[in-house]
Amino acid sequence: MSGELLFWLNLLVTVGIYTLLAVSLNLINGHAGMFHLGHHGFWALGAYAATWLTLNAASLPGPLLYVLSLLLAMAVAAIGGLTIGIPCLRLRGDYLAIATLGFGEIVRIAVQNSPHDFLGGSLGTKVPRVLMEVTRTTQVPFRFLTLAIVAVACAAAILVFRNFLRSLPGRRLLAVAQDETAAGLLGIDPTRSKVLAFVMGSAVAGLAGGLYAHYMGGINPLNFNFMEMVKMFLVIVLGGMGSLSGCVIGAFLVVATEQLLNRAPEAIASWWQVLFPLILALMIVFRPQGIFGRKEITDMIRAWRRSPA
Amino acid sequence: MIFEARGLTKRYGGLTAVSGVDMELAQGDLVGLIGPNGAGKTTCFNLITGADAPTSGTIRFKGEDVTRARDFQMARKGVARTFQNIRLWKEMDVLDNVRAVCRAGEPCGFAAAALRLPRFRRVERAVTEKATSLLQRLGLGDVLAESPGDLPYGDQRRLEIARALALDPDLLLLDEPAAGMNPTEKARLMETVRDLRREFDLTILLIDHDMKFVMGICERIYVLDHGERIAHGTPAEIRCDKKVIEAYLGSEC
Repeated sequence: MSGELLFWLNLLVTVGIYTLLAVSLNLINGHAGMFHLGHHGFWALGAYAATWLTLNAASLPGPLLYVLSLLLAMAVAAIGGLTIGIPCLRLRGDYLAIATLGFGEIVRIAVQNSPHDFLGGSLGTKVPRVLMEVTRTTQVPFRFLTLAIVAVACAAAILVFRNFLRSLPGRRLLAVAQDETAAGLLGIDPTRSKVLAFVMGSAVAGLAGGLYAHYMGGINPLNFNFMEMVKMFLVIVLGGMGSLSGCVIGAFLVVATEQLLNRAPEAIASWWQVLFPLILALMIVFRPQGIFGRKEITDMIRAWRRSPA
Repeated sequence: MIFEARGLTKRYGGLTAVSGVDMELAQGDLVGLIGPNGAGKTTCFNLITGADAPTSGTIRFKGEDVTRARDFQMARKGVARTFQNIRLWKEMDVLDNVRAVCRAGEPCGFAAAALRLPRFRRVERAVTEKATSLLQRLGLGDVLAESPGDLPYGDQRRLEIARALALDPDLLLLDEPAAGMNPTEKARLMETVRDLRREFDLTILLIDHDMKFVMGICERIYVLDHGERIAHGTPAEIRCDKKVIEAYLGSEC
């Protein structure tokens, strides 16, 4: 019974972390219309930044350290986004994809090749269980607490992005995404808009990284490989590029499929690596706009209410 | 002079698109820029708006040397334009097309927007009021929530003008504003352009191929051919200019 509960708690926490990754990737790829393939790099930066602080400030009380490490994770990833963003955002389309992909791989490979006493190198490192001060165990209470924290983080990120997109700077970003030339000639600085989106997106990916490191209790460079990027991409293509609701649904579908398949016998389980790219290809051929397109659940409910019964 | 270009030249590799063009606009002028296809009219617009940097020559706007200013900087200094092939943001509604361009008195930063601070509400209210009144002025008050792609062609052109006016420009460039309009719409557009100039204190430079429209509305006309300025004068002078007739108008005088 407890095993079953642990499984579903784990599934939901993972859905939450992928939701954070997907909404932040979607801000850059969906709303801002940039082809960015290095999100796993920002995720890794956040995870390793949080881990570093947790290892090096062990004297602080656990919950405080937890919060501080998440803030540091966001800051480090955001600085990463800024450093990569400013030179890369002059590139367009495929060129941007290649440059950001390179960044994502560089982060992982740099950690992999770093000495063992610095963040564990290729073998990875344990992350001290700072939340244990609250939950006493890493079983059910720990997972419930993490789930609550992840849910709050998701709600906050979605709210902040939604508010941003319905504001003056948000509309400027959407204008740049749709027609950059027209935007520039109408007084909008395209680079500024795009860098802002990049920094916001990378900060939230960093937050996902911090949460992930604390939840897993240990990380290694292979947690952040390119297949993870493919998974995030699948989530936003499935849910709908440019839809925040789509990210939540997409994250749930992808993570649930993966974890349920993982329970199946080995012979079936390993097929997820075939299944995901296949779904990606089929979606792009038959429903390129994804489940939600650019719409939100709230738009649909409003439209449904207005339509005569 | 609100606007002054001296020896404006643009070369693309071996091709000289614009060559040594001089142009002057005084506050409140309504001036036409005409010439055959490929004469360099749109390139001129691109140089004036900072979309493209001139190979040589200088541009002064409101007394300031703006030769090297970028497009969004020129727009903020007060140069706005519409496009020959309409470039509205199709995935935003009509109101948001204008609201994205509006500048409120104070900037609305990311934090104010994300956290819905009072400053966000102030900016949002000011911008919405301004955009709505501009759209009403151009007769688009009933279609605020529509998608621009669903509007009739003439309305799309007027939405482009409303969007340009949201910049509070001093100089408005209209790139073929009458293209694709029928004679009634053109007559109405003439009225609109004249009224807007007065109401918004605009200086207007426009490109169009419809000579009736250009001659009917402009007080002065510059004529380009092969990138060079071949004539400059009042509509009456241009109509009888030998070079212009030969290069562009055909025998009309």
